[in-house]
Amino acid sequence: MNSPNAKTVALPYNRSRQAREAETMLDHLTDDFDDNPAAMAYFYDLFRRAYCKGESLEREGVRVGTTCIHAPEELIYAMGATPVRLCNGSYHYDQVGADFMPAKSCSLVKATLGMLSSENVIPKVGKLDLIVNPTTCDQKKKASAMMAGMGHQVYDLELPPAKESEQARVYWQRSVREFAQQLRSLTGKKLTRKNLMAAMARTGRAQAAFRTLHNFRRKSPSVVLGKDVFLITNAYFFDDIERWTEAVEKLNAELVQRDKDGFCAAQKKAPRILFTGSPPIFPNLKLPLLVEQSGGVVVADETCSANRMLYDMTAVDEWLVNDMVDSLADKYLKPCTCPIFTNNDDRIRRLLELAKSFAVDGVVYQAFAGCQVYEMEQRSVAEALNKEGIAMLYIETDYSPDDMGQLTTRIEAFLESLKSRKRKRA
Amino acid sequence: MSQLKKAKAAFDLINWNRFRFWFQMSCFVLLVYGGYLGLDLGKHLPTFSCIYNTEARGGACYLSILQHQMAWPWQKLFSVAALTILTGFLTFAAWFIAINKLWCGLICPLGTVQDWMTALRRRLGVRYGRYTLGQFRVLAQIKYILLALMFLIPLGIGAGWFHKDWGLPFCMICPARMIIPAFDLNFTNWVVDFSTTPKMILSSLGIVVVGLFFVGIFIKKRFFCFFCPMSAFLYLISKPALLTLKKDGDKCTRCGDCYTVCDMDIREIADEVKNPRIMMDDCTLCLKCVAACPEPGALKANYAGITFFEATEAGFIKRSQKGIGLEQPKR
Repeated sequence: MNSPNAKTVALPYNRSRQAREAETMLDHLTDDFDDNPAAMAYFYDLFRRAYCKGESLEREGVRVGTTCIHAPEELIYAMGATPVRLCNGSYHYDQVGADFMPAKSCSLVKATLGMLSSENVIPKVGKLDLIVNPTTCDQKKKASAMMAGMGHQVYDLELPPAKESEQARVYWQRSVREFAQQLRSLTGKKLTRKNLMAAMARTGRAQAAFRTLHNFRRKSPSVVLGKDVFLITNAYFFDDIERWTEAVEKLNAELVQRDKDGFCAAQKKAPRILFTGSPPIFPNLKLPLLVEQSGGVVVADETCSANRMLYDMTAVDEWLVNDMVDSLADKYLKPCTCPIFTNNDDRIRRLLELAKSFAVDGVVYQAFAGCQVYEMEQRSVAEALNKEGIAMLYIETDYSPDDMGQLTTRIEAFLESLKSRKRKRA
Repeated sequence: MSQLKKAKAAFDLINWNRFRFWFQMSCFVLLVYGGYLGLDLGKHLPTFSCIYNTEARGGACYLSILQHQMAWPWQKLFSVAALTILTGFLTFAAWFIAINKLWCGLICPLGTVQDWMTALRRRLGVRYGRYTLGQFRVLAQIKYILLALMFLIPLGIGAGWFHKDWGLPFCMICPARMIIPAFDLNFTNWVVDFSTTPKMILSSLGIVVVGLFFVGIFIKKRFFCFFCPMSAFLYLISKPALLTLKKDGDKCTRCGDCYTVCDMDIREIADEVKNPRIMMDDCTLCLKCVAACPEPGALKANYAGITFFEATEAGFIKRSQKGIGLEQPKR
């Protein structure tokens, strides 16, 4: 097909539009801030290699792409395959993907489709043997057939539209077991107690490292900036899980030292921001970046590219394959605060709890234009937060850099109002 | 005070399942063989330390003496003699109020036997059965019917409506009557009593129940506890209990980890976020939910208002890594 990408294929990769886009973002993330943690070098370097230089991240063995956090990665790892999260944040791919979706649809879905339809895919993860597409929002559901049309093998992992009822739980547990069967026929490997335990241990260790990092963000003044944490969790999409965990553990060790030394990553009185809504995915980290460039600090988030992906952990009662798979299924459904579910009090409760326990001054709510579920939940979330006296800034945006100027003004005004509010209270 | 805090912090990290196993084991020895050690905790215990375990028991279950007293002739029942019943009940209530349903989850010998059977099934690699929760919830109401019958039948005997051989109706069908004395190699109750019709009916019913007990426990964890009238009785008087299970709904993410490990399939433990008193009627206070909760302070076990065991992130991670069979990650 005649994609806008066709022209750029001939250029050396580092001069292509997506490489420049990634480079600009990385330069901002590293150069606009003093005192980046030394342990962050690993992640900056990883993104430079993968996105700016186009280095290959290909893995041995079966590669499984996932389009949502609901695809249980432990099962994929257990069968000797490697998961890669395909959700994409590139404006370039967003434009390519616009061919597939109606004008008013979500940048994330468009960018993912754009990436999958392109020849020179970044990050270079190699040919995918399977794409798991959990049936979450309408746009992702409909994207399934389009991905299949591009020649990918797609598996629709059926997710219930509600999560409270026992029926939904049982339905989802069955879906997950079926998915395990599918993986078995794909890899030719059997799911055993041993390989599932090993996979759960790996993910568990990564989650424990994430939680430690998460807890450091409670500190006031902050010892680590939100833009770095988003970059770290973004790396989880495609990085080798063990290398990723080690890098995070290293950063945690550095943060212990920073904390001891009384280090401040941001101004002492910097307004503390809780980030929620549509997920910031590299290179589209513009909103968290703008918040921190304007003197705020993102101390916590409730998004599926960070907290929602890594926070909730699995408990197992009997370490037998069946019970482990069911427990995993529970973890991927019950605590999830995705707005696609009919009822989402859990999201509001989680936001209130995060706001309280991270001493948050204000909430920034990002909704990608066209991401209806986040747009629709905005009202109820704003009401609940206001009731508790927490200010919220609602921003509807997309991957385009055009609105950066306008957004900077709004964010600066919001942060200023938070500061004066704080002064009045004090 | 800081010493106490340290001890509590260490206790929060405990491998609860292992601790519970050994605690149950000790209680089992004391209640089932305590008699040989000269132990006698009386006849008013709120737990199935079976009275038919004549010589070896370290104390007896209250249900037996209660049914016996209920079957007194009504003239006696409604006279000053009833004071004996009252003092008996108060002794029973005092035992119970001290530690609430911990009697079920950590002490009850019949509960311990069930946990051993579950462990055996697990060792064999057999998973537990699954069936629709709704149906089972209805079945579990049987325990209230059993509780009611346990009062009504003896009262009927006292009134002269039933033959006295219907006495101790619940004991006759309780699986503990056959199972617990068997640990002292006492098999006298493993027979059908043909002496009178009521005894024949009750003792054959008892054998059927024991059969169901052994089948059920291989399918469902703590199978019998769903039908236990003692559990129902204890729940009804549990308000003033000193030991409580508390939930802080604000901290709960409703991840369902507690529900996943719950032997009694209590959904409310995961889903209820408004009511802090979370001990439901089926709860046995085994406190596995507290150990399986990753959210600091979301679930707490309190004694007289003081927290002695609560959910912690570090404890959760330590226990789950133990479960996977891993050492702690490198720091």
